Amino acid sequence: MSDSSTNFGFLDRCDPRVSHLARQAEHYVHSDPDSCLFKLRLMIELMAKRLASLAIPGMQEADLSTMLGMLEREGSLPRRQADGMHAIRRDGNAAVHGNATPAPTAMRRLHDAHRLSGWYARNIVRGGRFDIGEFNPPEPQAPPSSEESDLHDQIHALEDRIEERRRRTRDALLLFRENEDSEAVCKRYRIELKALNMVAMAAGEPLIDADFVALVMAMDLEAIYEHPAFGGDSRHARRNAESQLSQVKSDMAEAERAYLQERAELVQAMQLLKRRQLRGEA
Amino acid sequence: MFVALGPATLPCMPLETLEEKVAMVWFLAARAMSVADGNPETARQAAGGLYAQAILGISEEDCLSVKSGDLLDEMTLLDCLGMLRQLPREYGERIMTGVMMIAYANRSMHPLEVRWASTLASALEFSEDDFQRMCVNARVMSSMLDVQSQDDSADGSLDRDPEVTA
Repeated sequence: MSDSSTNFGFLDRCDPRVSHLARQAEHYVHSDPDSCLFKLRLMIELMAKRLASLAIPGMQEADLSTMLGMLEREGSLPRRQADGMHAIRRDGNAAVHGNATPAPTAMRRLHDAHRLSGWYARNIVRGGRFDIGEFNPPEPQAPPSSEESDLHDQIHALEDRIEERRRRTRDALLLFRENEDSEAVCKRYRIELKALNMVAMAAGEPLIDADFVALVMAMDLEAIYEHPAFGGDSRHARRNAESQLSQVKSDMAEAERAYLQERAELVQAMQLLKRRQLRGEA
Repeated sequence: MFVALGPATLPCMPLETLEEKVAMVWFLAARAMSVADGNPETARQAAGGLYAQAILGISEEDCLSVKSGDLLDEMTLLDCLGMLRQLPREYGERIMTGVMMIAYANRSMHPLEVRWASTLASALEFSEDDFQRMCVNARVMSSMLDVQSQDDSADGSLDRDPEVTA
């Protein structure tokens, strides 16, 4: 693919390996969407490793999800970029494990990769100027038939639903809204906390036993379970919590499985249509 | 310690169900603890959703609706303490455990975090034994959620976004 026909030419001078994988993904997006996802998954893994080597040395050997989590917590990876990387990681994993990828899904992830690459290039080459340009979706060899277009529309609708549900799940899990001014909120709560502190001090109110808190914080879990006073209660609390967590996890996983199933059915419909086209029946 | 004893003032939107009240108190108490160390960056990433949904039984819908309304911004920490006192004790203990779990997250406690924990414990009229038990449970919970995220890391950190095991 020549430079004029790729969306990722700007990556060449920033990270040639990442650039190479991006071009390969671009090449496969219509002909072999699964391979496109493999390449994109590898591409973001390389990106994450490089970011980790700069921000949190020693983490490069961790698995991709852990690395992304660390980068996000450490403040090197903004939430939006993390979402894009996780989406590629998830769909890449699904493809590796035999879940067929529809071309519109691969195209969405390729678009995500383009957006991420711009951010990545600006972060790797500080002060570097990159002409990222608009994302131009690679064209298929032949334009889709009206039946194929209908199926593509259904796949896009499904992907919209998946993205919306994942966004809602993520938003529900965080304490703060995505667009919230956390500095202002932080300031407001701290003013209130300081006022509460002053009132409590003036009233001679005791603090909790901070030494005990520090001790518990430093305690080994096994030591807690063996503790004569707290062991039994802690083990009981843990068992209950594990079962409740497992239920929530299972409900969330079930929703994802349903989406993958729906996606697989659409891929199957697409494959049937292609076979009919080859036989001249459609 | 003095805290608001009467019913919390609830402008704009009444919180009708127990679940809505639990969600509101949880978000106020947990957000205050997450910013008490003065670091908005950690606050931005703070996640307590798994705890809220699994242990407190707050639905995803209620988590979103409490955060999306203006009420959360309008309520003060005194409102939070007033509402906390009105909740069934079991919920109060669970909220306190979750808040301590957040305080443990960075393996240290800032003085304002200690004060917020003390204030909540006073509002709930915890005895020293109650507090110690809850404190130990928070430590267990904190490690458990941490380990759970690590275990699931090949497919996705649970406290971020779940996905099917691939």
